Amino acid sequence: MTPFKSALRIAGRHPAAAIAALFLLGLTLLALLAPWLRGDSPWAMVAAPLLPPFSQWAHPLGTDMLGRDLFTGLLYGARSSLLVGALSTFLTLLIGVGVGAVAGYNGGWIDALLMRIAEFFLILPALFLAVILVSVLEPSTSSVVLAITLVAWPSVARLVRSEFLTLRQREFVLAARVSGQSAAQIILRQILPNALTPVLVVAGFVMATAILTEAALSFLGLGDPDGMSWGYMINASRNLLRDAWWMSLWPGLAILLTVLAVNLLTEGLRSALGRQGGRHAD
Amino acid sequence: MKGLWFLGNRLAQALLTVLGVLVLSFLLVRLAPGDPALLMAGEAGSDDPHYIEQLRVQMGLDRPLASQLLTYVGKVIRLDLGYSYRNQSDVWILIAERLPATLLLLGSAFLLSSLIGVGLGILAALSARRRGWLDKLISTLATLLYAAPSFWLALLLIILFSLQLGWLPAFGMETVAASLSGWDRVVDLARHLLLPAFTLACLFLALYIQLTRSSLLEVFRQEFVRTAQAKGLAPRRILFAHVLRNGLLPVVTFAGLQLGQLASASLLVEVVFAWPGIGRLLYDALSHRDYPLLLGVFLVISVLVVLLNLLTDSLCQWLDPRIQAGGGQA
Amino acid sequence: MRKLLLALAALGSVGAALTGYAEPSPSRGGTLNLVAQPEPPAISHALVSHVSTQYVSGKILQSLLTFSTDLEAQPVLASRWDVSEDGKSYRFTLQPDVLWHDGKAFSAEDVVFTFGEFYPEIDARYASIRDDYFESISADGDAVVFQLKKPFAPLLSLLGSGLRPVVPRHLYEGSDLRNNPVNLKPVGTGPFVFDEWKRGAWIKLKRNPNYWKPDLPYLDGIVFHVIPDAASRAAAYERGDIHVLRGGDADYADVKRLAALDGSHLSDKGYELYAGQAFLQVNTRNPPLDNVLVRQAIQHALNRQFIVDHIFFGNGKVARGAFVSGTPYHDPQLPQYDFDLERARQLIRESGVDTSKVTLRLLNGERGGAWERLAEYTRQALQPLGLRVQVVTSDSATWYQRASNWDFDLTYNFNFQVGDPYLSTAYFYRSEYILKTSPFANIVGYRNPEADALWRQVADAGNETERRQLYSELEHLLNHDLPLIPIFEISFPTLYRDKVRNLLQTATSLNESYDSVYLEGGQ
Repeated sequence: MTPFKSALRIAGRHPAAAIAALFLLGLTLLALLAPWLRGDSPWAMVAAPLLPPFSQWAHPLGTDMLGRDLFTGLLYGARSSLLVGALSTFLTLLIGVGVGAVAGYNGGWIDALLMRIAEFFLILPALFLAVILVSVLEPSTSSVVLAITLVAWPSVARLVRSEFLTLRQREFVLAARVSGQSAAQIILRQILPNALTPVLVVAGFVMATAILTEAALSFLGLGDPDGMSWGYMINASRNLLRDAWWMSLWPGLAILLTVLAVNLLTEGLRSALGRQGGRHAD
Repeated sequence: MKGLWFLGNRLAQALLTVLGVLVLSFLLVRLAPGDPALLMAGEAGSDDPHYIEQLRVQMGLDRPLASQLLTYVGKVIRLDLGYSYRNQSDVWILIAERLPATLLLLGSAFLLSSLIGVGLGILAALSARRRGWLDKLISTLATLLYAAPSFWLALLLIILFSLQLGWLPAFGMETVAASLSGWDRVVDLARHLLLPAFTLACLFLALYIQLTRSSLLEVFRQEFVRTAQAKGLAPRRILFAHVLRNGLLPVVTFAGLQLGQLASASLLVEVVFAWPGIGRLLYDALSHRDYPLLLGVFLVISVLVVLLNLLTDSLCQWLDPRIQAGGGQA
Repeated sequence: MRKLLLALAALGSVGAALTGYAEPSPSRGGTLNLVAQPEPPAISHALVSHVSTQYVSGKILQSLLTFSTDLEAQPVLASRWDVSEDGKSYRFTLQPDVLWHDGKAFSAEDVVFTFGEFYPEIDARYASIRDDYFESISADGDAVVFQLKKPFAPLLSLLGSGLRPVVPRHLYEGSDLRNNPVNLKPVGTGPFVFDEWKRGAWIKLKRNPNYWKPDLPYLDGIVFHVIPDAASRAAAYERGDIHVLRGGDADYADVKRLAALDGSHLSDKGYELYAGQAFLQVNTRNPPLDNVLVRQAIQHALNRQFIVDHIFFGNGKVARGAFVSGTPYHDPQLPQYDFDLERARQLIRESGVDTSKVTLRLLNGERGGAWERLAEYTRQALQPLGLRVQVVTSDSATWYQRASNWDFDLTYNFNFQVGDPYLSTAYFYRSEYILKTSPFANIVGYRNPEADALWRQVADAGNETERRQLYSELEHLLNHDLPLIPIFEISFPTLYRDKVRNLLQTATSLNESYDSVYLEGGQ
């Protein structure tokens, strides 16, 4: 069976996840093509202010109080959310997997120390920490990514560590040790591939959290000052809730659907990959 | 005896965590580009060179880092959290004024979300056993709630209940400028509390529903329930005596773990509803770059979360003595 | 016939007397709930002329006189004034038996100190007027005499605009005026006494039991609530918890809706002395803003009608020049700058300035609201010119500080042209007022000897025709140089609830003492 057909098979068994995947792909595409589809800047004042949605073809979702197009804002906001989400997830995985692997493989006091540090960051109220960090470092895409990574890595680390704790006892690892492979080789070639499934799953949840945190930070005024963001759009709508409720509806819906899609896809991955179990590398 | 040792152990751990928070906030100030004294003077105090010089001396910026840290920790222990130039007041006083409002909000939200969440979770589990439609409905609701940003949900609720229907007030904790007393005041407070507490509860509703549902379903399958059924105990008694007690354990554990998230979400809710708690205080401090206040709030909320964690851990231990010091359930 | 007319007149006056008696007397008691938005940077308007400060402090400190809505001078602390034939001597007879809030007696010595020592030190604008025109200020029993070197037509405006109250000599003499602790707890002669200022929450004033007007004030107290959120302010007003929202307190988007509520009134009276104009102050020291073509390009790039219609929701009209249109000082023939992006770009090209490396800092002192939106709009509007604008938002106290210290490239501000522009608008343009004490001065560093000369001539000019001619020349010059870009003329709609009476009584009403304001039903 070709990979394509088997993919379709899997998709058929998990329709929700498949739709979610399509949605995310479509969103990414739209976000990338935004400058060609909707013009250079979401900040340009292109029409009469406070235009209601569905009243003009050129501005399907209406405009805000300065006449900026809301659909354009959504697309550019998608760029921020997806970019920050992807970067944060990547960085979180890098750090989380690294720390978790070292802790899980070595055990002993290294494990205890690293896990203590992880628990410390896990207990702290995440958004407060993120807010302070971004504020102190001055708001920008990099400080936001850094802040999200700092609060997200512990859960990844703990998961990877517990996977490692179980896996390192297994026969294939013992066999690899006996055959003289170094610790690094064992970690990279034997254990990690088997730990991949839960790591992918937790990556999905990290991505969802990253998108929500980025939105919250932008809402509080700590987002990248030059970038349009869904959180910023929601904040801008607060004064006009009465007269222009749609200004808060679209960006919120966008966040909801994106996070939902990520969650559904992750759930789908979890059940799909779970079936195949962990096969050991040879 | 064992319980006491356990408590002592957890207390020591909590203290260590608090120390860690102190070190973290100490480092954060020095992390920023530029002069730490200028940072701590805030936007409002930065034009007062006399004040900045004063701060420089107080923070001991010319001394080695370790010495500065010691000074800082010593101050915090004496409840000296710094001075807010803009508000012309000690940080500790500003926080103490607002803390009760936040505690009220957190407490109400926790109650609402656990009561409603567990209730709906029970319904869902019962419906799942019979393959009913209620289960599907509740689960879908939970999934949607989990993905929605809390501040957006807050705005939607305001639009619906406050602006369109006019049932509930949209902002604040009490009606501004109306001096109410006694029962009227309590009712007024409750009306203002309802939307923010409910919004905050929504976030965790989803998790409580799912958790209760799955843990109950798990418990239904277990041996001792069948044993009890065989013994002839009435179904309802089974439910309450055995199922709930064992099924609720993960819920309580979970509650403890989620306190940090609850606190974080309360920040957003307080901002949207202009609820005068420390989350709102943080937001004001943020807008005015009032760093002493910012850090003070961070410190206090972190310590609060650590203490509440300690509380729920002890509660877990009491509910099921089989659980040892830890909480390292991934 | 004559007898009939006399009879009718008699009847009329009896009728008037009867209706006078039939009118219900004002109710006593109750607390008036107002809003202080933005939160004032200071509480004494003898020191700071910020609008919010005036609003609060005007009930505590009083001036010698004020102006009615017909712009007739009316007595306050001065019961009458006599002007000599040659216009060089003014004698103000003071009210008897006036007490300061701390119980000490008010006397002519206080007035002499206030205008002879206090303001000259605090306010450079006043100091130069004093130096140019005043020969002496002296006490004469229960009166104060201002002896002038030459006639100064705007003197009554100067003393009665509500901006220069009298301060207590016994608390200020010999002290460091700016840092005197009395500044935080002002002591005045007004109908209300300062009680408490809880920052971020409220400012409370209590009734003055020893107020010099018998039986006044009616109110027990006034509370100014600090509510930073515009929607909350509107909601509080809707519920009736806040009684008055003056222009700017409600977000302009809400004004129509709030005016239409039951028991709610809207009025634009009370600002007759104040002709308000909003403008963009352009720091002419910082390149490329030192180039006049760039400044002119900026004016062409701003769609001022859009600003009026969509940012201020129609509460005003586009400005037509440096002086407020409709006043006798504005020249209706003044050439106008239309909204014209092409022309703007052309001017930039002509100027030869490379805009790619430029970032202009635009200061904004009010979070969330029309002024912030205006700043955002400006950022967008100047972008086609290649100018990058960075909006720097802070609270009003910080804005005040930064603007005063010239720490900006662009900032919006507004001014009340109180009658004669010489007394107010001039401070923004004259090179003698290049100061660092307040944003309401020549903070843009504009120096034009021709303009300065015209300002001096205008103050000395004898007849009206000559003055108008001079003002027209001046306006043309300022219109070309554009150190300040006029944006729009603000209207100030006041929203107030039914039960508030006697609110808009004078031409400076919202800065007035409120001594005869009462709440129907005493609540």
